[in-house]
Amino acid sequence: MNRKAQQDFGTFLRLLILILGLGFVLIPIWYMVITSFKPQTMIFELPPRLWPQTWTLKNYIVALGKDSFDLYFLNSAKVAIASTLLTVLIASMLAFVFARLRFPGKEAVFYIFLLGMMVPPVMLIIPQFLVAKWLSLFNHWGLILVYTTMNISMQTFLLRGVFENVPRDLEEAALIDGGGPWTIFWRIVLPLSGPGLSVVIINTFLYSWEEFAWANVAIKNASQRTLPIGIALFQSEHLTEWGQVFAASLVALVPVVIIFIIFQRHFVQGISTTGLKG
Amino acid sequence: MLLAHNKLKRTFQMWAAKHRPHQSQRTMYTKRRSDLLPALIFLLPGLVLFALFFLGPMLYSLRISFFQWKIVHPDQSVFVGFRNYQHALSDPIFRRAVLNTLVYTVITVIVKLFLGLGVALLLNQRLPGRTFFRVAYYLPVITSWVIVSLLFEYMFNGQAGLVNYALNNVLHIIPKDILWFADPILTLVPIILLDIWKGIGWAAIIFLAGLQAIPAELYEAARVDGANFAEQLRYITWPLLGPTTVFLVVVLIIGGLNAYVPFQLMTHGGDPMDLTHSVLTLMYEATFGRLDFGYGAAISYLLTLFVFLVSLVELRLMRQQAGAA
Amino acid sequence: MKIKRLSALFISMIVVLATVLTACAPAAAPTSAPTSAPATEAPKPTEAPTQAPTEAPTQAAAPVTIQYWHTHSDPETAQLDKVIAAFEAANPGIKIAPTRYAYNDYKTALLTAISSGAVPDVARLDIAWVSEFADQDALIQLDGTMPNFDTIIKDTFPGPLSTNVWKGHYYGLPLDTNTQVLLWNKADFDAAGITTPPTTMEEFATDACKLSDKAKQQYGYAEGGTYFWAPAPVFYAMGGKVTDPDITTATGYVNGPDSVAAFTMLKDLYDKGCLSPNLLGGGIATDAGHAQGNYAMIIDGPWMVDIYKNNYPDFKVNFAPIPTGPQGTTSSVVGGEDVVVLAGTKNQDAAMKWAAYLLSPEAQKMMAEVGQMPTLASLTGDPAMPPYFAVFQEQLKTAQARVPHPKWGDMDNAINNAYQRILKGDQTPQQALDQAADEINALLK
Repeated sequence: MNRKAQQDFGTFLRLLILILGLGFVLIPIWYMVITSFKPQTMIFELPPRLWPQTWTLKNYIVALGKDSFDLYFLNSAKVAIASTLLTVLIASMLAFVFARLRFPGKEAVFYIFLLGMMVPPVMLIIPQFLVAKWLSLFNHWGLILVYTTMNISMQTFLLRGVFENVPRDLEEAALIDGGGPWTIFWRIVLPLSGPGLSVVIINTFLYSWEEFAWANVAIKNASQRTLPIGIALFQSEHLTEWGQVFAASLVALVPVVIIFIIFQRHFVQGISTTGLKG
Repeated sequence: MLLAHNKLKRTFQMWAAKHRPHQSQRTMYTKRRSDLLPALIFLLPGLVLFALFFLGPMLYSLRISFFQWKIVHPDQSVFVGFRNYQHALSDPIFRRAVLNTLVYTVITVIVKLFLGLGVALLLNQRLPGRTFFRVAYYLPVITSWVIVSLLFEYMFNGQAGLVNYALNNVLHIIPKDILWFADPILTLVPIILLDIWKGIGWAAIIFLAGLQAIPAELYEAARVDGANFAEQLRYITWPLLGPTTVFLVVVLIIGGLNAYVPFQLMTHGGDPMDLTHSVLTLMYEATFGRLDFGYGAAISYLLTLFVFLVSLVELRLMRQQAGAA
Repeated sequence: MKIKRLSALFISMIVVLATVLTACAPAAAPTSAPTSAPATEAPKPTEAPTQAPTEAPTQAAAPVTIQYWHTHSDPETAQLDKVIAAFEAANPGIKIAPTRYAYNDYKTALLTAISSGAVPDVARLDIAWVSEFADQDALIQLDGTMPNFDTIIKDTFPGPLSTNVWKGHYYGLPLDTNTQVLLWNKADFDAAGITTPPTTMEEFATDACKLSDKAKQQYGYAEGGTYFWAPAPVFYAMGGKVTDPDITTATGYVNGPDSVAAFTMLKDLYDKGCLSPNLLGGGIATDAGHAQGNYAMIIDGPWMVDIYKNNYPDFKVNFAPIPTGPQGTTSSVVGGEDVVVLAGTKNQDAAMKWAAYLLSPEAQKMMAEVGQMPTLASLTGDPAMPPYFAVFQEQLKTAQARVPHPKWGDMDNAINNAYQRILKGDQTPQQALDQAADEINALLK
């Protein structure tokens, strides 16, 4: 009885803090949402209002109605999904090597991979462009391969920590039964790394979905453009239809939110505990 | 209380001993001294991709930093040795950019770590509407930088923005409106706040994933031993979040030092008077603004060197600490 | 140990692989690298800029495609398609493939392409970039190589044309131009009892203060920032100059008496509360402030018509020429875009034909319909022009271009910083501009 009351109070307190924090977090989001429903005239009214005087759906209709919006949306989806799958595969293979295998110079190689996080990406655009030109990759594959490369370092680093935490008891059992490294990787380590892999998936998908700089130079064909470029094209030199930009950007959030909701299910305590009790 | 405390510690240490990664692993998969062959197979695809699209380009741009680079006729570029680097290090604008970047990094990383952990702990427990809260706190992470920079500029508008209105007319903390973006130091406030706002959710998710690796049994055992929430946090959560924390500290610091977008969008290239640059906005301006590719590359690699050294130190320090726990 | 050697070998393999890739990645010399244009004819070799004019265009066996890069807005792009259709009808055998880039990231895309040799054939460039790109040998010299070049430029405004000059040669053609004029808010003027906009700088200064009321957050005049473009019209109208005509020195020019007088006047207005402090950063934007009545006067360009139509449809915008300076003459600053042909193009003749066509009266009239002000002087007062063009085209007769020099960005910065120091009271206008003169001279060496 006492214990339950304590728990309830704890829950209540947590809810309270979360809701208060939510206020801080959601004010700018709220602004984004109401601005997307405002007519162009009121977008940046000063002093600002928290509740618009007039509402309109025009921004959404125009922005989503532009012929290429769904094309760009699909292009982004295609590239993001492919990059995510490739990154998960490659990064987990790399992380497995660092977490479980042993060979001389291992840490040195690991640090070489970590370098990938330490060089500002914008510095690499021109030589990467040269490589893409050499391989004729001014298309979605060019995007996919570069996005994967730019994510490998961080995701490998993340997964190495995750894999190192996976207890070895199960592996020892599998080894005795004659399994090799691939079996261990595919059947034991990966399945037990749900939360870590979920983070990698969410992060990589987000990165590929909203990447702009490389897509801007690597895609020359308008029909292959990705969504961030499409949205940037709403801005012109002198006049920008901000209402449409906001509307389009909000719609662009939806796929990422969906991916997030799907994969955050893995952030539930107990799924990745040991396979053995006690 | 002391008895419970010690017992708790022992429980944890026994568990940790079972699960600690072996410091010097014996090879598991081959009979020889090293797992080189399977390692090569697993490494190959990633290595090829990495060499092609990262290492090659990196070495190419590193080479540029030693030249006065001509973009159309690179063979006519003039070799200048370390001059680009010397120029950067002696340039007061560069030094100011470094200062801005460091201040920004330190503040944002510390705040994001603490608040991120707090949010993760809150979102870890069973709660009504938990998924909703998780999505809500993650939303800032996925919003577009362009849009939220615009919004923060709008909120911090010097003549009629929300923040001034709140501080001046409502809370009466300041005597008159502050022109945030006209002051080279105050400009950093909205930039820092923007990054924190946008980054807490990201850190929280990573912590959240890390929290899943801590088995419920430990908390149960601790509760049985009479430990309260704070003690559980200190003896179970914090140590077992070790790898996650290391990861976050390294990645957040790297991210902070590489800050570009919020600075560019809110200072429009160092206004006022080149005093609000970050290292990367300066690099960008040199490369694509003034077409001085060699100098831009030198700035990038100075940054990379610094990041590399800092990361090395962090990783060593934190692994040592984790080992000593 | 054998294993140790193996992994040392392994690691050095990575390094070698990477180095080899670096060496192999072509250090692009544009004449040898292929462009990404599909279906091109047998490439004609492009030579050094001082070549004699090429002869009659070769008959193409297959159609030639010209890649044209630009940053036009949606309505302008739609109109451009019509211009392309007209050109293709008149020039069978040449196809134009336009690509639209996002405005803010266009320069990056261009530079990346140029660095790799995968350049477009023709591009629309901001006027300030022409001398920069020309200095890097990225553009083809047009005088002496383009047929009819001299005839074409006879009809263009001198200000916009001058933005294409570098080291005595022309590297582009003025494509569209604009300038800034005075915008005055009639409601504010009526409220202050002023019937007409100021015609001299003296009137301008007095009016600005009559129209200011700090308590109501009203200012007689506002500028968008301290970058040179903002005070430039006032600066030029008061007789200010940045450098001598041959661009050899700034001493006596940017810190000359007229320049100093211009900034002194602005500083004076600022101190008296007649110039809004928003120009220091982060205040109410000029377009919004003007329409809402906060700023009675601003100086801006023809795009304001579209902006107000969209954002403040009830606001009636009024234009007037920039008030005259002490010498009795008006002036303003030139903006706009130039069209250039990139070095490395495989279809120089076709490319030049396209560029020349964009300067024909038909093409210029078509683009004028969507707000692109023509650079042809003969089209001034043409009935096909939108009516609001008149005041701008009149102003263009006296508008001046900013210094066409690859280091203009840094010079702009020097003046920008000087303006900041002046407004903040750190230096007097003379001191600040003396410092700017020194900084600019260093750039001109």
